[in-house]
Amino acid sequence: MTDGLYARLRTYEGRGTTLSGVGKDLVNEPMIRHWCEAMGDTHPAYAGPGAVAPPTMLQAWTMGGLSGHAGRSVAQDELFGLLDEAGCTSVVATDCEQEYLRPLCPGDRITFDSVIESVSERKTTKLGTGYFITTRMDVRAGGEPAGRHRFRVLKYAPRIRKPKDGRPRPVINRDNAGFWEGVAQRRLLIQRCGGCGEPRFPWLPGCGACGSPQWDTLEASGSGSVFSYVVMHHPPFPAFDPPFAVGLIELAEGVRMVSNIVGVPPDKVRIGMPVELEFLGVGGEYELPVFRGVSGASADTDFSKPDGAPDRAPGPVAGPDPAPGHDLRPDPSSALRVGAALPSLAVPVTRTLIVAGAIASRDFQDVHHDAEIAKEKGSPDIFMNILTTNGLVGRYITDFFGAHAVLRKVSIRLGAPNHPGDTMVLSGTIGVLEGTTAEVRVVGANSLGNHVTGTVTVTIPEAAV
Amino acid sequence: MSIREKDALGGRAAVVGIGATEFSKNSGRSELRLAAEAVRAALDDAGLSPADVDGMVTFTMDTNPEITVAQAAGIGELSFFSRVHYGGGAACATVQQAALAVAAGIAEVVVCYRAFNERSGRRFGSGVQHREPSAEGAALGWNLPFGLLTPASWVAMAAQRYLYAYGLSPEAFGHVAVTGRRHAATNPAAYFYGRPITLEDHAASRWTVEPLRLLDCCQETDGGQAVVVTGVERARDLRRPPAVILAAAQGAGRAQEQMTSFYRDDLTGLPEMGVVARQLWRTSGLAPKDIDVGIVYDHFTPFVLMQLEEFGFCKPGEGAAFVASDVLPLNTHGGQLGEAYLHGMNGIAEAVRQIRGTAVNQIPGAARALVTAGTGVPTSGLVLGADGE
Repeated sequence: MTDGLYARLRTYEGRGTTLSGVGKDLVNEPMIRHWCEAMGDTHPAYAGPGAVAPPTMLQAWTMGGLSGHAGRSVAQDELFGLLDEAGCTSVVATDCEQEYLRPLCPGDRITFDSVIESVSERKTTKLGTGYFITTRMDVRAGGEPAGRHRFRVLKYAPRIRKPKDGRPRPVINRDNAGFWEGVAQRRLLIQRCGGCGEPRFPWLPGCGACGSPQWDTLEASGSGSVFSYVVMHHPPFPAFDPPFAVGLIELAEGVRMVSNIVGVPPDKVRIGMPVELEFLGVGGEYELPVFRGVSGASADTDFSKPDGAPDRAPGPVAGPDPAPGHDLRPDPSSALRVGAALPSLAVPVTRTLIVAGAIASRDFQDVHHDAEIAKEKGSPDIFMNILTTNGLVGRYITDFFGAHAVLRKVSIRLGAPNHPGDTMVLSGTIGVLEGTTAEVRVVGANSLGNHVTGTVTVTIPEAAV
Repeated sequence: MSIREKDALGGRAAVVGIGATEFSKNSGRSELRLAAEAVRAALDDAGLSPADVDGMVTFTMDTNPEITVAQAAGIGELSFFSRVHYGGGAACATVQQAALAVAAGIAEVVVCYRAFNERSGRRFGSGVQHREPSAEGAALGWNLPFGLLTPASWVAMAAQRYLYAYGLSPEAFGHVAVTGRRHAATNPAAYFYGRPITLEDHAASRWTVEPLRLLDCCQETDGGQAVVVTGVERARDLRRPPAVILAAAQGAGRAQEQMTSFYRDDLTGLPEMGVVARQLWRTSGLAPKDIDVGIVYDHFTPFVLMQLEEFGFCKPGEGAAFVASDVLPLNTHGGQLGEAYLHGMNGIAEAVRQIRGTAVNQIPGAARALVTAGTGVPTSGLVLGADGE
């Protein structure tokens, strides 16, 4: 099938979309502060006298905000108009590559030029079918080159979400309804035999050990460990983004159940890993019990010991709360080598974080704050914008490398969306170390898979190397 | 009770005919037609006519009712018909039920069959996303919301534990795949005829569900296979040398589920196959050393290792090394990894060919064959032998 639309779209390649665009505001402290608060970024260079803007704000200074840009050229409007007519009415950012040439300081006047670099052939994704559009923007501060920003969006026709595209529903009948009633109240109930006292799972109307039909329930403490696990790759299912881990969890009470392991990248799950119960709201409709891997433990702790090995304390926990003062830095002298893993950082993806990040980056796309519209556009809920992800990745790196670290380049690709109620665990590995420059491979995983993958180039103070 | 004592069925009946369609990815015809073709081919092989048949046994999860296959194959009145549940676990049990009916005088000639378009039609490997709230549905339902949706994933959960318990890597499963494909390569009826693989191919194949790779999983198949069972006396008068049913057994374990028995023991074995093994050895009076050919159910490689361990061919954890040693001729037709995934019925046919001396990869002098049925589910097994063994 020839794609006549594609031929027309391609004629826009190389055309400028903005020439000498001007940032709506000078670089300013209030926007910097809002950004840092949203990202939980406490880097000292971004506050106080002589403060600079977080480099990852580069695009934020060029955003049109709620009222949009007046100065945008016809090329982008025409291109988007063609796609709208073809039913590709939704847009989502997929890649962002930023290079920072000089710091941006309060008072800097931002100007920028942008050009449509390429339009992809028609692609079908989980969100729907559409075209990837890559634009490049050169950003200047006070007339001097300050950074370069390459940005890829998918402009697509939303797939109509049918109920079957969600997670398979729990199978509930008279024998196990009590379990799911407990889950709805965020309690994990285990049956306990009235005859022999054995706790049991799954739920059944009689005891497999003694045959007694008498039973009551006990509430699980929520602690457990991974008894076994698999990593699902193939075939794909609409509700899941492979690869993802499914675990057989052994609860402290001695029974096992199948569940998802969240907060740990699938390749870091191990038998014996300690996990804690939490509840995942599915599409705002029902709850599922899932288990969070004890973060930090995966990278540094060897669980591959046969049964009978002594219980070990959980590894260092990267706090689940990105609060000010939170500090990931281990002893840097031991950490700075190629192949070294950075301590992971768990970021609870709250609705507030998604909205605060969108507003701090002046991104008023409705899918980042309006759940109803997000659903109409093929998403189960609102999702984090790419600028927030970019900011969090930047923060993760500078948190580790310290007060004098300077970001040079951040290049990220988005995968599984960050929806409210999930947790994204950022992990990093030092890939290249040359002089005072490090390149770190970063992965941010949530319960659906990898939300973000990318690389960050950072300059670190010589003393640390 | 045969779990505890030798049963009275051993040696009473024999497999006297086998017949199959071609094995393919797209048969181009109905499952009913495949069943009727296989049944007629098996009767031709036995030198019997449809009019001789008075019993039929098949599986559940099937679209070929006994009465409809009988109509389409020219079979008339039936005095015995049944279906055995639990997927591939039924394979050897169909023959057991046929033997029971024959031994009890309820039927004289019983046809057992399985036919489906499992590749071009409903593929089990494509997974499950919905179940009705029956007891069976609820049992599987504990897995579904979390994305544990495919047979490979249910096997992988136990396989991961097996590797952990014995300090092995996923490459340990490669020997089973290589052995099956080696035999398939010289079997013109096999889907993978002429296409052997190496351990390196296995290790390089993509993950399906870690720790399982693509080459740990069988080839889903369209096709049909039937076998004909009758009493040993009548069998001796027929065209082919009888493959005597020296022992036949079913087995379910404690806390048994279908593919998801995750809540018992250490997940490093197949207790239901242990139940089958104890009965087969007791009734046949045989031991692993007496077996000339093993046709061991291989929809996924890890469970072959566990079966060999349950039957006592080797110690727990040594299955991979045992397969690599090639001491026991294993899945000489190519197995379900190499010939066809027909829920194990094609394996029964291979055991019969080995006993007759007509297999393409014939083991010289093979007189006793062990056949097992689907694993991870309530299952069954057979020991077939040459007459007089």
